[in-house]
Amino acid sequence: MSGRKAKKDDDEYVDIDDATDTHENEDAQQGGYSWEEEYKRSWDVLQEDAEGRLSSVVAHLQQQMKRRRLLRDTATVQRGIIRHLFLVIDLSEAMNEKDLRPSRLELTLTYARQFVTEYFDQNPISQLGIIVIRDGVAERLTDLSGNPTDHLRALKNKRNQETSGEPSLQNALDMACASLVNVPSHGSREVLVVYGSLTTCDPGDIYDTIAQLKKEHVRVSFVGLAAEIQVCRTLCKETNGSYGVVLNEAHFKDLLFEAIPPPAVTQTRNTSNLVMMGFPTKSNDLHPSFCVCHSKLTVGGYICPRCSSKICELPTDCDVCGLTLVSSPHLARSYHHLFPVDNFIEVPWSGINSLHCFACQTAFDSSPPPGAGLESNSGRYSCPRCHNQFCVDCDIFVHEVLHNCPGCWAAGSNISTVQIHSKKQPAIQNDVMPMQGVTS
Amino acid sequence: MLDTATSEDDTNLLVTIVDTNPLAWQQSATAKIPLSLDDAIRQILIFFNAHMALKHDNKVAAIASHIGHCKFLYPVTDAETHRRQANQYKISKDANAYPNFKDVNDDIIESLRSLMLDTDTPQKNLNDGTSMISGALSMALCYINRIMNQDDLGRIKPRILVLSVSPDSPYQYISIMNAVFSAQKMSIPIDVCKVYGGEVAFLQQASHITGGVYLDVENPQALLQYLLFSFLPERYARNYLCLPNKEQVDFRAACFCHKRIIDIGYVCSVCLSIFCSWSPVCSTCRTKFAFRALPPLAGKGRPAISRTASPAPSAAASPGSSSPMSTT
Repeated sequence: MSGRKAKKDDDEYVDIDDATDTHENEDAQQGGYSWEEEYKRSWDVLQEDAEGRLSSVVAHLQQQMKRRRLLRDTATVQRGIIRHLFLVIDLSEAMNEKDLRPSRLELTLTYARQFVTEYFDQNPISQLGIIVIRDGVAERLTDLSGNPTDHLRALKNKRNQETSGEPSLQNALDMACASLVNVPSHGSREVLVVYGSLTTCDPGDIYDTIAQLKKEHVRVSFVGLAAEIQVCRTLCKETNGSYGVVLNEAHFKDLLFEAIPPPAVTQTRNTSNLVMMGFPTKSNDLHPSFCVCHSKLTVGGYICPRCSSKICELPTDCDVCGLTLVSSPHLARSYHHLFPVDNFIEVPWSGINSLHCFACQTAFDSSPPPGAGLESNSGRYSCPRCHNQFCVDCDIFVHEVLHNCPGCWAAGSNISTVQIHSKKQPAIQNDVMPMQGVTS
Repeated sequence: MLDTATSEDDTNLLVTIVDTNPLAWQQSATAKIPLSLDDAIRQILIFFNAHMALKHDNKVAAIASHIGHCKFLYPVTDAETHRRQANQYKISKDANAYPNFKDVNDDIIESLRSLMLDTDTPQKNLNDGTSMISGALSMALCYINRIMNQDDLGRIKPRILVLSVSPDSPYQYISIMNAVFSAQKMSIPIDVCKVYGGEVAFLQQASHITGGVYLDVENPQALLQYLLFSFLPERYARNYLCLPNKEQVDFRAACFCHKRIIDIGYVCSVCLSIFCSWSPVCSTCRTKFAFRALPPLAGKGRPAISRTASPAPSAAASPGSSSPMSTT
């Protein structure tokens, strides 16, 4: 989207400002690729409207682009909220290619940092580990842990950013698999590989590794930076992972961030379990004492309820007794994955029922622009439950950030809450109530 | 903790959520130190005016969180303004009043009047007569999101103030928490002023997570004073002020089965419900648990297992234990 917009600016201002010519040249050098063709052709979609203006068409296209990323599966499914994921980053020579700007490596590391932050934001009680592959060997940067700062520090370390040699897919997968077989069965086991090379330099038969991964229920997903590779395709297919090859920088980010929402639980095996967790109390001592996680003198901290050792940050596993320590908001942070907001429906002009966005009070156009039919999109989006109408910005905000439908929680009809409420079973009247939708 | 994202020249957007729950206000009006909604609104309006007087481009928005219903009190939509002008509500002009203040005051009072007079406000299924705080928070965040999208310079610094009178409603917990985490993500502090009623744990957590101020009003008659002293300072000024705050916020969880506050509990890996003892079926999502799967944590911590009610080995030994291996 941003790429398209930049391109548009170039087109518009090319006569006025000669500086943009340089971009034109760059584009010309890369011409001939299939995605470039697509890029150009999509431009022809722009047709002037009845009044000879482009703005309404462009606005419409932008809305479409915005919404495309939004339409998700909103069925209530069981999701593996407690995840164990290894992020495997290719650090072979192939990562020095500059086809993604500034370079494959730079971009990968930037996105990897964002990925780590976002991953822990959305999956607070999950764990992550990072493996890099270069010179034909796999190197574990961080073990599985729930602390984002460790991972970020490892990614920032300059020594971990040098590329050399060939990558070895098998070594990396073996290493990840060896760590993942030890995690408790209630958690998901996933590997996400960012792979820039077109080759792999393996010590043995990689199909053995694939069989092993399949047996251990490890899900392997790939983000390819160069071109589709058959062995990766097979690997993803066998392990129920997803495989995508990036088209451009923005698409890279989309592919990578697809791995952030927790995946649906496969129905074939019973992995669910009651996990023992501790809810530590915060202590504010007058005198500093040693924490078990960094062995440093600190004043405040959390006391593990089982072994009374002092931990600096939540959520984590107690270093002494291994108990998972969380606080109740951490659990609450994951609830929105379980109860996604329904996708809003585009409202045609014939179906409008309000003149302003229900949530942000933006005024809508009251009548269709000349030339637009009654069935064309009116720029309103309505919630299928409460039938309130929202603007496109609120639609996106609600689905990407808020995860609440303001209409359902605010309107007089109050349908969704009533439904949840009526489903409530008398046996469980508790603080975190509306859980009944999980199994369907 | 210095909020470096703010500066002296910022425009402040104050989105206030006024709990207009008539049942709670009725109780408040007859309490030992009474405060009726009328009095409260009078004081809140002065507070709004003070906020706008601090800087010429300070903005204010108000949302009513009513029983089973939320509504913007200010700003009102264009259509609504036209309707009011047609009905000549705004005919009174006061030469002595600053027009901006007067507009806000008139709009809010008029919106409140129509809210209270509106008998269509659904009074049924009002689930323990609680007000829709979660809806109001969601609307506030959507509104702030729009304002910040429109503001290219990034000079508008929003904050949310909740004036609460009604108790927590448990079934809104998830939606409130969703809103709180969104606010945290957008770094919007949620201030909470508890005018009447007991502690509200959800809002306490909200202000703690977003770095806002939580205040229990001891003398509701002096509401204005509390508002002016604790909630008027903008985000930049807060860097240099020592504002009241909760020392201790309880983040321990209550188990779903007995509502006991627990230190160590069992969490369903599917729906994250919390239980105080192990059971073969999650009572919330009906997931059946495999008996074999208990040991991973137990391996390291035997003592804790014996403390809780149902040890895995005995359960696994029972004849019925093979059936739960199937899926849900």
